[in-house]
Amino acid sequence: MFKLALKGILARKGRLLLTSLAVILGTSFLAGTYIFSDTLTKSFNDLFADVFEDTDAYVRSSVVIDGDFGSEERQRIPDSLSAEVAEVPGVRTADPSVFGFARVVGKDGKPVGSDGNGPPTFGSSISPDEAFWTIDDGRLPSGSAEVALDAAVADDAGYEIGDTVKVVAQGGSREFTLVGIAMYGDVSSPGGATFALFDLPTAQSFVGRPGFIDAVVVTGDGSLSDDELADRIQAALPADSQTETLTGAEITKENQSSIEEGLSFFTIFLTAFSFIAMGVACFVIYNVFSITAAQRQRENALLRAVGAHRGQITRAMLLESVVVGVIGSLLGLIAGVGVSIALKSFLGVIGIDFPSTSLQLLPRTVVLTVVLGTVVTVLSAVLPALRTGRVSPLAAMRESAVEHVGSSRKRILSGLIFGAVGVVAIIAALAGPSFVLLGVGVLLVWVGVLILGPVLALVAAKVIGTPVARAFKVTGRMAQGNAARNPKRTSRAAAPVLIGVALVTAVALLAATLKAQVREIFSEQFVGDYVVKTNDFTGFGGLSPDLADQLNEIPEVESAAGIGVKLAEVDGRGATVTLVDPVTVGEVFDLHLTGGSYADLSNESMMVSDKKSSDDDLNIGDVLTVNLTGLGELPLTIVGTYSSDELAGGYVVNRGLYADTSGSYFDFSVFINTASGVSASQAQAAMEPLVEQYGSGELQSRSEYIDDQAASINTLLALIYGLLALSIIIAAVGIVITLLLSVYERRREIALLRAVGMTRGQVRSTVRWESVITSMLGAVLGVVLGLFSGYLLVLSLRDEGVTVFSVPVLSTIVILAVAFFVGVIAAVIPARRATKVDIIEAIATT
Amino acid sequence: MTETLTTAAAAGAVDATKIYGEGDSEVRALDGVTVSFEASRFTAIMGPSGSGKSTLMHCLAGLDSLTQGAVYIGDTQLATLNDKELTILRRTAVGFIFQAYNLVPTLNAYENITLPLLLGGAAGDQEWIDKVIDTVGLRDRLKHRPSELSGGQQQRVAVARALASKPTIIFADEPTGNLDSHAGAEILAFMRRAVTDLGQTIVMVTHDPNAASYADRVIFLADGKVVDEMVAPTADLVLDRMKRFGD
Repeated sequence: MFKLALKGILARKGRLLLTSLAVILGTSFLAGTYIFSDTLTKSFNDLFADVFEDTDAYVRSSVVIDGDFGSEERQRIPDSLSAEVAEVPGVRTADPSVFGFARVVGKDGKPVGSDGNGPPTFGSSISPDEAFWTIDDGRLPSGSAEVALDAAVADDAGYEIGDTVKVVAQGGSREFTLVGIAMYGDVSSPGGATFALFDLPTAQSFVGRPGFIDAVVVTGDGSLSDDELADRIQAALPADSQTETLTGAEITKENQSSIEEGLSFFTIFLTAFSFIAMGVACFVIYNVFSITAAQRQRENALLRAVGAHRGQITRAMLLESVVVGVIGSLLGLIAGVGVSIALKSFLGVIGIDFPSTSLQLLPRTVVLTVVLGTVVTVLSAVLPALRTGRVSPLAAMRESAVEHVGSSRKRILSGLIFGAVGVVAIIAALAGPSFVLLGVGVLLVWVGVLILGPVLALVAAKVIGTPVARAFKVTGRMAQGNAARNPKRTSRAAAPVLIGVALVTAVALLAATLKAQVREIFSEQFVGDYVVKTNDFTGFGGLSPDLADQLNEIPEVESAAGIGVKLAEVDGRGATVTLVDPVTVGEVFDLHLTGGSYADLSNESMMVSDKKSSDDDLNIGDVLTVNLTGLGELPLTIVGTYSSDELAGGYVVNRGLYADTSGSYFDFSVFINTASGVSASQAQAAMEPLVEQYGSGELQSRSEYIDDQAASINTLLALIYGLLALSIIIAAVGIVITLLLSVYERRREIALLRAVGMTRGQVRSTVRWESVITSMLGAVLGVVLGLFSGYLLVLSLRDEGVTVFSVPVLSTIVILAVAFFVGVIAAVIPARRATKVDIIEAIATT
Repeated sequence: MTETLTTAAAAGAVDATKIYGEGDSEVRALDGVTVSFEASRFTAIMGPSGSGKSTLMHCLAGLDSLTQGAVYIGDTQLATLNDKELTILRRTAVGFIFQAYNLVPTLNAYENITLPLLLGGAAGDQEWIDKVIDTVGLRDRLKHRPSELSGGQQQRVAVARALASKPTIIFADEPTGNLDSHAGAEILAFMRRAVTDLGQTIVMVTHDPNAASYADRVIFLADGKVVDEMVAPTADLVLDRMKRFGD
């Protein structure tokens, strides 16, 4: 029997490949994700190992502020410490190092690289020893008018040695002469970040603070081990210096793990989507096995008739599924290499350059892909295999592959029960918010819908098929009939479409709602006319505070309010604080003050939101300890409260706190109210030159700004759509396979139709409309489920401040249109196959 | 017009030769067959297995092409037509009754009967269709799906469909092969009436002498050649003639 099964599999290589296709698609993205992230991790590990190869110890401040989301900001140390470190016996060199925000402005006047979510843009000191950076071309910068650039940004912006380069940093906007091109290890730019490199005093005054440095990079003279060296340096520094000394190995490891952590979000994101793809592939695999089981009914019945017992038939099919699973997963693994290369080049296109390392295909990836792919395939084949074992020997006499729909009353009942339990769980979840319960509820409703699938397929064939039948007469009528004749098969082919479409729709609804919410918040709270905006909300970079001051000086501007954000510790807890200019903030923002006034905001006071105030029981007059980088711990008295906290967050402090300190400060945007009687064009003409001088911001009118803020959700949306497209592709392939098998099964019928006068075009049309009915069944149900799930998601976010609800009408129409075309395209190959049926062979020779 | 075709011919073949394979494995399924089928006549083609009777029918009906020679439906030489023209010819000028799988399972009896008309988008001659339906006695079964009909009823639907478009000629390939003798006799009676009462032309391939006895004329094929023919056959005469093939 084992041999027979193997022979059977090998005899039908075409079908084997077809069945494997779903497995290949399902596993390739998973394998690709792992290969890609392993390669990335390896390359960064190598990079940092290379860069810190000569570093034996690393001295820096021990004061660090941990903000939300694992971000941190470290204090600077006085530059006098580097001289003290150099004195320590065993130290050969002690290089002071400065780094901070700086953005290179391109020849076109536009800043190079992206702010916000893209790779960071740095300004840094470059050591004469070339510890991290090595000059590849030209020479080291020296003096306040010279700069070196990393090779990538120089290449990107088209700068050559001798050119004048504008750089924007905390110290404002300045022009430098490019004297050198530098490499970081063996890459032109680590992780796509851009670097402007200066000598130490220039770096201190322009990107840091005079008198301060970020770290001392130490090389030993070889007389001590790294551990001993670090210990000795730490011991030699004053106890109150608030420093820590790491060994070369420790700083390497720290950089490696922080990159790994940064990448882990990305990896988890990709992995989640590859599992969704796998789940969708499951349906396709299940459907393929069900259909082939039905089609092989006669063959299996014959085996039963000549003495094979049930178990043997079932085992033969399971064996086939193992073969399909293993072959499919292995091919998926190979395809995964392609996927990882595609991912890498995709990121390359958007400007993220990775250190070159050969692709990392770890044994873990191979095992995971093959095991998971095979297990999923075999599990998907279990039910069809059991069913096929139950075939009666008499079935050999029957002629065509008929799949029986189990008692549809039982089906409707169990589907409704699942749905009802799900709805109850959802209601319970919304009453006492529980995301887990909500998730379970939504899942149950989905399962209910999938169980009802065959019943719904009949309804859909009627509803969707009727206009098709009306429009396309006999071919439409037959497509409708074909979609309804095997409702189980149709619904299983539609299920992957349903899942993909439901996810896309839910995401679209969430995005539309968030956009509406963003619009509402900005429209209500931002009352100014113009904004100079950056997308840097991390506090790491942005606009020099000088810009706001200068804007305030021009007569066309009534008031310009620079707003910044910073990581801080408030009473020991990580938080983000908003920094405002108390003189101007009230002119452009309406935070709905519920106590105090902006004028009360001094260097000793702060404001808190009503939410914080009630959550932490804070009142006007209470004192909070606020630790801001560069400022140390400050006792600030609460002098006011406000109710609109969507933009301002929980804490507001005076941005004047940063004047004349060692900490870096940037406005992320400047909000502007123009003077009355000044026309928009006049105001714009007056402000443009200033904004351009500072390089890194963009001047937008109020409506442009609000549109822009709402559109910022699109980037994330595009990424999610891109990943979900994968599921839709698998769904399309599922329809292709189902139709191919159906065409194969119906070749006699097609031959008959051809004999009595159906043209090839009509044959194609019949297949095409069946495909469209199938995909539209999935799409319509998917849209309904997606809107339903998305709506629940929005409801559950009510506590997070989402108060509006927006149905993405346009997106929904687009999704349905896409599903329609997926149906049309999926039918191309099966339709062509249908027209190639040999009439005589299929019908006349019976 | 070729002289071997009479003016009353609905279809015919001239020197029809069909060769499968090449060299040593060459098989002459048809070897210079010249035959003509008169309009409004019921002709049976008989012969032992492998005599080429099915191949002749397929070539006459435009389902297969000849290696040599020519076949005609009415005045049209089929070799001059492309696939689309052939398809339309089959739809309008040819009717088919196969041994089995005659009906589209997703369409009801009426839709199956009018299928060639539906495919052509033509309304057809309603009066004629009604007449056909009454002739085969299916008036009360029109809304039924094929799966709800007996084998005999299904074959009657097939006969009705073959007649529905008033084709130039109807080809039947062992139309009673899957039926019991009673249902078979019924179908043959309908086919006889279609020729006698409705003036249709039928060519039937069969190996059943009893079925052949319903025809006006029997053509005997052996080894791809026409070897004999018989006018006004009876079952016994045909059986006798068939027996001689064994010699």
